Amino acid sequence: MRRVSTLSAALLVLACTFAAPSIVRAQAPADDDPAVLRLAEPDFTLIGLPTSLRLPTFGSSFRVTHRFTRPLGQGDFGDLAGDFFGIDSGAQIGLEYRFGLVKNGQVVFHRTSTRTIQFSGQYSVLRQSGGAPVDVSALVTIEGTNNFRDSYSPAVGAIISRDIGTFAAFYVEPIWVNNTNPFPTQLVDHNNTFMVGIGARIRLLPTVYITGEVAPTSGYRPGQTHGAFAIEKRVGGHLFQLNFSDNIGTTMAQIARGGPPQNDWFMGFNISRKFF
Amino acid sequence: MLKRLSLIVGLCVAGAALAACDEKLSTLAGPTPGLEPTFSSIQRDIFESTDSAGRSACTNCHTSTGRTPAGGINLIHDVAYDQLVNAPVRGRVGAIRVIPGDPDNSYLIQKLEGRADIVGRRMPFNGPPFLTDGQILIIRRWIAIGAPRN
Repeated sequence: MRRVSTLSAALLVLACTFAAPSIVRAQAPADDDPAVLRLAEPDFTLIGLPTSLRLPTFGSSFRVTHRFTRPLGQGDFGDLAGDFFGIDSGAQIGLEYRFGLVKNGQVVFHRTSTRTIQFSGQYSVLRQSGGAPVDVSALVTIEGTNNFRDSYSPAVGAIISRDIGTFAAFYVEPIWVNNTNPFPTQLVDHNNTFMVGIGARIRLLPTVYITGEVAPTSGYRPGQTHGAFAIEKRVGGHLFQLNFSDNIGTTMAQIARGGPPQNDWFMGFNISRKFF
Repeated sequence: MLKRLSLIVGLCVAGAALAACDEKLSTLAGPTPGLEPTFSSIQRDIFESTDSAGRSACTNCHTSTGRTPAGGINLIHDVAYDQLVNAPVRGRVGAIRVIPGDPDNSYLIQKLEGRADIVGRRMPFNGPPFLTDGQILIIRRWIAIGAPRN
């Protein structure tokens, strides 16, 4: 019940946010240049979910993700401190390279240490800086396990976002992921997952942000609903993020499946670097 | 505008084309690649067939042809369904061989998985090899969807 209430409150806040007029009508036509830093949206991802940030044509970006696999709730605080808050444990590591293939369009390669490879394409359809009330991007991904040789899970979706001046950005991301269930369709009730990613990034200080995201799902949902929050520091073209999540997954199908049923939480980090 | 529309349509088409990915049942079924979660398939590929892994057919012992069916259960195709679904287990009060919709509590699954509280040995009697996890999963699915006579 509390989860539903929290979700309702989040949706209400988002609805008000998207309905409200811009406090600052995005930073003038020059801001339509994707190479210009968007203070409210400094990175291409929130924590696991994508943002609608565009890449300049032939620009690129690199990201490394770590999700330490030690549940934070395992043992007492002394145990946790003894394991240095999970850093001593193994981690699911992700490496990501993003490239601006065409104007407003980008392709992404993401590989996790579970040998899952995800390819993504993203295209900016509408832009707030162009006078639209929101940014809208189309998203297509496909991932495969065993180095893209088994169990393919494609996804299609949209990223709808709105910047509130230079201090916040809010996101709603309806995404349908096919073949999230690892078993053949003859053996399962649901083989697909529809999720609505909801997220926000708030600029607390000129270069410090807090970020949160949640992805309620329907269809195949074996685990806890994906949720995460983070604190971030932007330093030039880098973004350093310390995050906490109930799910160590970073690809679309992994996010759609959610975290472990026992509702463990994990510490992790993202580091990204823009090359433009 | 046309270029943008083409790209969006292209992305959608690519997404739709890829949206038919699924694991193959035959991979999961292993030594019985034709096995499906239907009674007729289970009868053909499990009860009445010795598979490529060397697992014996159930009807080697559970038959009335030339002998008394082992354990009082006859798995020849004319009577197997009625011998299993909602049928009580001989020698174990309250146990049911197949409870439609409840694979965990179906004694057939318990015997195939070799759970600690079963009476007698894990089946097949002369295993290993026993049924693979994938084969058992397919039988579980047939029970989970109501154990239809299909």
